[in-house]
Amino acid sequence: MARTKQAAAGSSNANSSSVNGSQKARSPSPDPSDRPLGPLAVTVPAYDREVVKVNNANLTELKNACDDAVKRFLSRPELFKQIYTHTDVRLGLGWLSVFVAAGTAFYGYKIDFEQSKPVVTVGLILYIILTVLSTLYAYFVEGDTIFVGKRKTFSKRIITERITLSSSTPPTPKASSCPSYSVSLHYVRSTNGGKTLLGRGRTKGAAPYNKFFDANGVMDQPAFEKWVGGLVETAMDGKAA
Amino acid sequence: MFTEELKAFRRLGFRHVLLQVLNFASVIASGLMIWKGLGIVTNSESPIVVVLSGSMEPAFYRGDLLFLTNPSSEQYKTGDITVYKIPGAEIPIVHRVMETHDVPKSIDIRKYTKSKSKSKPQPGEDSKQDNQLLLTKGDNNYVDDIELYQGLEWLEKKHIVGKVRGFLPYVGYVTIAMNDFPQLKYALLGGLGLLALIQRE
Repeated sequence: MARTKQAAAGSSNANSSSVNGSQKARSPSPDPSDRPLGPLAVTVPAYDREVVKVNNANLTELKNACDDAVKRFLSRPELFKQIYTHTDVRLGLGWLSVFVAAGTAFYGYKIDFEQSKPVVTVGLILYIILTVLSTLYAYFVEGDTIFVGKRKTFSKRIITERITLSSSTPPTPKASSCPSYSVSLHYVRSTNGGKTLLGRGRTKGAAPYNKFFDANGVMDQPAFEKWVGGLVETAMDGKAA
Repeated sequence: MFTEELKAFRRLGFRHVLLQVLNFASVIASGLMIWKGLGIVTNSESPIVVVLSGSMEPAFYRGDLLFLTNPSSEQYKTGDITVYKIPGAEIPIVHRVMETHDVPKSIDIRKYTKSKSKSKPQPGEDSKQDNQLLLTKGDNNYVDDIELYQGLEWLEKKHIVGKVRGFLPYVGYVTIAMNDFPQLKYALLGGLGLLALIQRE
């Protein structure tokens, strides 16, 4: 019932009728009047930035600098709060395997070789299982994800939003001279404790690295933030770009 | 040099620091586990050893790396090159087997070993397996190893760390250098640690 009301309200608004037109058939179009603040709308004037300078030739450093900028940009107050589940799982499994290894090595050091063999074998197998689990998790479940954020706002009712960003550096085609940073967003807005879906958006964007980094490797953070903010607001509007 | 790194750490937060330290700790943990795993697979306390003396020349020179295995069903034969460790001596010795006497399960081996220790047999030790009495000698030595046995007449299988299966020349000098100059060991470890803490994947 809520959805038909929104659709009726949307069709009267010229803006959202174009939104409806470009929608994928299955995702509902979010009501623009209901939309919480997007990242571009939130400006924190006293936001002093540290200069980010990286080695221009190192793709890993470039990608990490962009990822860190995204995390900083989206975690500002009034915007999303980062959910650390992936990090915590990796940390937990990793440190557990380190402690298992340390314990097994210490036990093998204290006790004679022959007597220690069964316990050391058990410890070794446990370590291998934990390491394999951690690698599989990082590869399959976490994948390219760099940021998972959540936000609760209260306008007419409590709206919960969840955004997931993943980024990668796709292989550069021979034609272009600069590798690019590709980011893809998945955005969900819901209410009523997550039971009523208000809107969903999926956006992708790519930009060459030389748009944000100059010849010395200094990062142009305002330009980067404007680009990412635009992508996030597109996702929040529900356009499948 | 470090102010930039410290600033970066403060900016990125506590979890990031934990992740970086985990990087370093897991390198060490995997090294330890590979060593222990090798020991379990080869059934040997120390599957890779370095030759310290010249007593096995011209077969092995000081600084060679030796690879050992010690399968529990192994019966050593004359001519095998074994690494053994006398209880009470710190350093294992690598010499060749000169004489072997097989002692079947039914006979208590302690009748033949005039060992100074009057210890009772541990449960599950020696009495259940075929045992052997061994005499060794270094190729480059004039006399056999009786002097080195510290009172024992024969070596038993429990003293053997393993039999040499293969070797790599010169590689062991790295270990010898690190033992003679401990500063090198700490410098290497410190350098590796720094690299792992600062690098981001």
